[in-house]
This record gives sequence, C-alpha cells and structure tokens, in this order.
Amino acid sequence: MSVSHQITALQYALEKAGRHPIVVVDEPLMADGTTSDIPVVTNLTASRAVVARSLGINDHQTAAPIYAQRTGTQITPETISNDTAPVQEIVIEGDDVDLTRLPALTQHVTDPGPYLTAAHATTYDPDTKTDNTAIQRCWIKSKRRMSYFPYPSSHNNRNMRKFWARGEDCPVVFWIGHHPAVLMGTQAKLNYPESHWGACGGLLGEPLRVTPSRTFGDLIMVPADAEIVIEGYVPRDVLEADGPFGEYTGYSGPQVAAPVVNVTSITMRKGALYHDYGSGLTDMLVPDNMTMEGKVYGLCKQVAPSVTNVHVPAQGRRFHGYIQVENPGPGEVRDALMAALSYRRLKMAIAVDKDIDIFDDSEMMFALATRVQWSRDSFTVDGLSGSLLDPSTPAGSKTLSKIGIDASLPLPGRPGAPPPVPPRSIVPQDAMDNAAKILSGTDMSGWPTL
Amino acid sequence: MADIMSAANTNNRETVRLGAPWEKTGNTSWTQCPECDDWFHIGPGLLDRPEVAMHCPSCHHEFNQTDAKRLVTSG
Repeated sequence: MSVSHQITALQYALEKAGRHPIVVVDEPLMADGTTSDIPVVTNLTASRAVVARSLGINDHQTAAPIYAQRTGTQITPETISNDTAPVQEIVIEGDDVDLTRLPALTQHVTDPGPYLTAAHATTYDPDTKTDNTAIQRCWIKSKRRMSYFPYPSSHNNRNMRKFWARGEDCPVVFWIGHHPAVLMGTQAKLNYPESHWGACGGLLGEPLRVTPSRTFGDLIMVPADAEIVIEGYVPRDVLEADGPFGEYTGYSGPQVAAPVVNVTSITMRKGALYHDYGSGLTDMLVPDNMTMEGKVYGLCKQVAPSVTNVHVPAQGRRFHGYIQVENPGPGEVRDALMAALSYRRLKMAIAVDKDIDIFDDSEMMFALATRVQWSRDSFTVDGLSGSLLDPSTPAGSKTLSKIGIDASLPLPGRPGAPPPVPPRSIVPQDAMDNAAKILSGTDMSGWPTL
Repeated sequence: MADIMSAANTNNRETVRLGAPWEKTGNTSWTQCPECDDWFHIGPGLLDRPEVAMHCPSCHHEFNQTDAKRLVTSG
C-alpha cells in the first residue's frame, strides 16, 4: 500500500463505514517505488473508546473531568542516559541523514508532498531554558531539509522568534510516536514558559522518561521511549512556501510562508514504527477534541459548578462544544457558555440538561428544537479569538463571531418542583426491556432505514 | 455581491472586492502557476511576503508573485 494517498484513502473508507480500527501497514510502498522497512501506524486514535482505554478510562464519556484533573497534577519527568534510551538505539547523523526514507504520507490531493503529521516539535525559551512541545506539521523537501509550521500564536513560534531576535538559529527536535497519554499531554493548555513533560506524566500516571537530545544535550530533552526523533536548526529569517495542506477543518489550508529546518540527526528505536495522523479525520480530531473537552470543562467549572460534562463532537470539527449542566443556579448556564466561548477554537457552545445525551447529536437536535426560543436563548459575541482556518471567516478578519445557545429547561418555580414544561413522552422501562429482548433475536437485515 | 476588479499595480493581479457586511464573501486567494496553469490557494501571510517564492503543488515549479499567471486575492 502506497504512502501517496492510498493509506489515507483507506482511513476515509473506514470512517465512512463507521469503523475505527488502528491501521498498521508493513513495508509501505514509497513514492519512488521502493518499500520502506519502517511500518506506518495510523488511525491509532480514531476511536474515542480506544483512546479512553489507553488512558485507563473505561467510558470515554467521562474523560473530560479526568483529563482536567490529571493534567493539573503534574509528575516530574525522569531523566535517563543516552545509552539506555530506546529512541537512540539507532543514530543517523550528518550526511547520512535522509528524511525521504521515512514513510511520510502524502494525504490529500492539494498537498505538495509528504508531511510529518504526528511530529511533536520541542523548542526552548532562550531566556529561561524552559522547553515547550506542540504537534506541528513538516513538509519533507529533501534529504536534510523540511518546512516547519509553528502556528503564529504558538509558544514554539515565540521561542523561535526570540532566537531569531538574538541573531541565532533556533534549535528544535521533532519526536514521533509515543503512548497516546503522552501525545495528549503535550496538548495541555499551559502558561508561557512551561514544560509539557509534567502534564504528560500526569496523564500517563508515571514520570515521562526523557533523555538528552544528540545535538543539543540537556537543552532539549526528548522522550526516551518515542519511536523516532529528528533534530535540527531553524535558520534565522528563512521562510519558504509551505502547503497547501489538508487541515482539521476538512478543507485544504492555503500555502503559507513558513520557516524551514536543516536536520542534523535522526535517531530511532530498533524496529521503529512511523506514526501518522489522518489530518481532518477522526484519527486527529478524537484526541484533540477529547483534550479540548478537558480544557473547556476546567474553564466552565470555575464559573459554573453545575457543569457536569463537556463534549466536542468530531462532526463539528473543533468548533462546537456541548455543555451539560445539572440544577444550575440563575445565570449559571450563560456563565458556562461565556466561559466555553472564551476557548479559542470553539465558536458555538450549547448548554443542555442531564436528560440530554451530549454524545448523541439527535438528542442535541431534540433539545434545540424544543427548548430554545432564538431571540431569548441565544447570544452572539463578535471579536473573540478563534481559528482563522475556519473557511467562513471574512477576508482580513483576525477574530471570529461566536454563538452561545441555552438549550436547557427553565428553572423550577420552587426548589424540588418539576420544571415548568411538559414532561417528555416515555414508555415504561420494563416495556422497553421487553422490546429490546424481542429485537435481539430478530433478523433486521433488509428492513428499511430512516 | 462580490465582484472582480483589476488592480493598477500589476497586470496579473485581481482583487475580489468585499460587499456589504451582511453579504457573504470568501476569504481565500488563488494563484495560477505560470508553468502548468494549475490553480492553488495561498494565505495572506504569503501574499505579504513577495520575497518568498510560491511553490506549485502540482508541478513543483517555484515562482515569484509577479511571475504568477494570475493572482486573485480576496479582500
């Protein structure tokens, strides 16, 4: 199976079929017709259930408060020596470096070539020497050169600009492949400057093992149990074209002017796996959205104790947030909505009661259809920060327009009384159990769907 | 409605004029490769840096903005 489009096509086909297995491709076919002895692993995180299980969570619907709690309980990383670090079992340096031998995928029609999609970039603040990590894409351009796109508002971009302001090239390492808890720990929302290693450990439940990088020593540590590490420098003030690139929005992001990396070394495990994220697929949306749920839950909970859960559905990319509340006080629902909308990527937040399943879009539509009067229960706020990759943003805008919708029931007239609305139509539970029993033994294939 | 008008400074550039605030307008700029004629979309950051060569994702030809066959910018 070819790294050019074919593996990604399989992911799309699986997603359309509603199936989300982990995909492993042994001996992937490279663009030049040769095969790679590095297997590709993708769709690793396409299933919420699988991701939750990897975090030791039985039910993915309970992940938000757990993520918030664990990433807030940081565990100091453990440093191990270079000679015992699995990721440095194989060391390739200098002219022997060849990025084009990595089985990086060309995913979408508009992508100009193979991209590292699961590369976690680690840089450091030259003032405090504090490291920062974020997942950031790289387009492999030649054996030792690739583009690198640190999003303008990212802490890595800030570190890079500091080095450049000093007249220096910026040291950077990219590591690929690790336990999902570590991958998701790098997405914890932290202050600047603040290392992600502690949050990774918090989510992992044990110290993250790190080791000095080959090129930068203690200045940039790398996860010792990663699969592959790429080290290099971002040369000062050098920008080249990068993209277009298929983004999480489901659209192709435009070509941009991006820094490049001159690679000094590649290290890897013996028998290393190459991890790829299917960009714009649930493979990438699920872990990102689950971490968002934890972050938005933490934000909302601070101002609205009645918030019990948060869901960021993959159907809404990263733009929709569902907030569940239980017995909110007066004004508390809107407090929660305002807090949720302050999170950069969300542009619509909907609050519902406990009787609505926030993981079921048909339930959310039911709440919107029957519990909302638009002029009374919705509000828009312009000028908030947001993702400029949203294709609906007006040209030239740097902020977004967002909406909050209160789809909760009105408060009871007095404590303990039912809410002043009609009850939902339901049938007795024993009758439902009986119906399920009848259907469980019935062949329903061929029956009409909706 | 948005329409297209020619800018005065270059021959290859057209700008999609913005409509009223309540009218939908796009946010994406496009360029046409002078080598293979393929169109691809470019961000405002790249447009702001004419010293950075554009790179055709289809034929991998690199060219400056002034050498683009067409540039249709939004806003």
